[in-house]
Amino acid sequence: MIDYELTKEQKELQGRIAAFCRTDIAPAAASLDSAAKEKVPEILRGQFRKLGAAGYLDLLLNGDFVSQCMAGEELAKSCPATFLAAMSSGTAFGMALQCFGTQAQKARFLPGIASGDTIGALACTEAEAGSDLSGLSTKAEKKGDRWVLTGSKDLVTNAPVADAFLVLAWTDREAGLEKGLSMFLVARGTEGLAVGPTLETMGLRGAPTAGINLSGCSVAADALVGDAGGGYILLGRITEWLKLSLSAMSVGLGVACMEVSTGHGKGKKAFGKPIGLFEGVGAKLAIMFTQNDLGRLLTLRAAWSLDHQEAEAPVLASCAKLFTSESVNKIADLAMQVHGGHGYVKGSAIERLYRDARFAELAYGTSEMQRAFIARDSLNRYKPA
Amino acid sequence: MDFTFTDEQRMFRETIYRFCKEEVYSLCEEADLKGEFSLEVWKKLGSMGLLGLPIPEEYGGSGADFVTCCLAGEAMGHAGLDGGHTLALGAHTYLCAANIMEHGTEEQKKKYLPGLATGEDIGCMGLTEPGSGSDAAALATTAVKKGDKYILNGSKTFITNAPLAKVFVVFATLDKAKRHKGITTFIVDRDAPGISTGNPMHKMGCKCSTTSEVFFEDCEVPAENLLGGEGNGWRIALGGVEWDRSTLLSPFLGGAMFMLENCSRYANERRAFGKAIGEFQSIQNRIADMRVFLEAAKLAVYRVAASKDNGVMLNPLLASVNKMYVGDKGFEMCSAAVDLFGGYGYIHEYPVERGLRDAKLGQLGGGTSDIMRMIVARFMMM
Repeated sequence: MIDYELTKEQKELQGRIAAFCRTDIAPAAASLDSAAKEKVPEILRGQFRKLGAAGYLDLLLNGDFVSQCMAGEELAKSCPATFLAAMSSGTAFGMALQCFGTQAQKARFLPGIASGDTIGALACTEAEAGSDLSGLSTKAEKKGDRWVLTGSKDLVTNAPVADAFLVLAWTDREAGLEKGLSMFLVARGTEGLAVGPTLETMGLRGAPTAGINLSGCSVAADALVGDAGGGYILLGRITEWLKLSLSAMSVGLGVACMEVSTGHGKGKKAFGKPIGLFEGVGAKLAIMFTQNDLGRLLTLRAAWSLDHQEAEAPVLASCAKLFTSESVNKIADLAMQVHGGHGYVKGSAIERLYRDARFAELAYGTSEMQRAFIARDSLNRYKPA
Repeated sequence: MDFTFTDEQRMFRETIYRFCKEEVYSLCEEADLKGEFSLEVWKKLGSMGLLGLPIPEEYGGSGADFVTCCLAGEAMGHAGLDGGHTLALGAHTYLCAANIMEHGTEEQKKKYLPGLATGEDIGCMGLTEPGSGSDAAALATTAVKKGDKYILNGSKTFITNAPLAKVFVVFATLDKAKRHKGITTFIVDRDAPGISTGNPMHKMGCKCSTTSEVFFEDCEVPAENLLGGEGNGWRIALGGVEWDRSTLLSPFLGGAMFMLENCSRYANERRAFGKAIGEFQSIQNRIADMRVFLEAAKLAVYRVAASKDNGVMLNPLLASVNKMYVGDKGFEMCSAAVDLFGGYGYIHEYPVERGLRDAKLGQLGGGTSDIMRMIVARFMMM
């Protein structure tokens, strides 16, 4: 029977995480953005340890998706960069190990991921391969009982601070995408692994990003995560979770934009009344509310679908990702407009959120890729016999 | 949290969908071309119990819950029924009969509901006036108590079903100075002295629903036809919002399904430059956007319906969000469907042209999108 209400436990969790994020996470949001890039890792480590203590990272490893999305929205609302770093460690790296790793792999890394003492990263994208993985060039060659990895990865979130990486590489190029790719665990400090300089990103600067280089990087046979040749399927699963997580991030970011804009609408006066009472500004606030509200619904719907292993979960996750990532950019734009010139100044919250929002439409499947995937689902359903 | 319909609900939806597709769809197409209400369509809908869905069985209805009512609306839209007939059903069932069901006395229910539930009597509701639309509290139709009667004077406009209606649920004011607090609701019979209806209006879309003005000239309404007590009209009108934001929107939701199906089929079949046009990204983009709209609209509509079924108070913000989103985005998507069909999209005999005309009403009726944004903003600024 249709029921949209969260359970009592979920509501309690939401309240607890919201309060924690407000007091413990939000205060560092501005400094994570403005700090010199060499200062970021220390601040971020502090955020991770707090997230660990509050149980947030454990939730990413063990919680249901509805709870994760609810909690994620609260975190992203307080600090989108911390959200992204936590997602990259807890979900992209941690949950992949949780679902596909061996007992030994889990025992070695997951306690640290859950406590926030260990930070993980996922390294897939390359200069010539993003949405189209067939362009990957990183390879893993079997030498004796070891794998030797060669290649380089781009745009690895958390790379400058990560203690361990999941690396996607060809183990059998001839076998093609679905059987030729494999995922490897590579710990920081492994010989042949080099982390590149931290990139200057437009936004989400608190989630430091860099490329990594693998040059004759030799790892033991037990570094393989899942089956040899199972990397593509594994990445497909991770991407589903990440689409959902990014949806929650977009909603949280959108709510943050809406809240500062509503505050500004009430506090700022023009022509004798708060500007939010002018219809032009009010309509913008209303659109922000609408897009956030429906985005949250789509996100929770997709999360519930994934929790219940419905066949339509992947397409619902794409719908949520597409809707929320485009919404948050629209919302950030409206929020900037509501703030007028004051929003255009470094140090204003909206200036930071505006830059942060742009990421959502680009990562883990651009909007173009989401549309192609969603359209395929409908087109296939109504193929002529 | 649960997003699944019960088996019973699913089976019911399937039955309605099949019936409408096989027996009603082509009649609606013909009727829309002529721009006329079809009594045959009406009777068919009545034969399936669709004209009295939420009315309790003891009054001749089906006693359906809110979600089931929405599923029926969805199924009708999905089967391709035109927006005019579904609007006529909406005004009849949810604006007229449901108000009597929720606020009527036992005598009123016994007198009016059985006829309405079968569709034998057609119902309508009169709120909007020439001088007051979204600002409904400014209505000017007056009611004055005289002995055991109320005397109504004034006029209503854009009243769906009025030309055919036997039963009118009418909002009037006992004291205009009191604004909201003076508004009072009456059930007025077609044969009451002093009531008359204007000529049917020619509309852009939803052509098969009849629409006209209603005039009250010293119209005599027996005191026992007072609905819900003196001064309670505003509360009744607001309560109607729950129906308006769910059951009345549900045919639009089904309409989006109909459109997505037709667009997907067409994109698979129509070829250009040696391939199906569905291979072009610009076509795929439209199909993807329709799907996202459909998923979001579905969640929005059933949220209101489920909250009513589960006894959760309706959040007025969320109701406005529904109306705004389904209205605005629905129209945009219908326009995208016409684009997808190219020149054929502009032709009545293809299935998307009517949808665009019908969908425009979603942005206007029952509170414009501008007003929805105003309502949401007002709550946010509190």
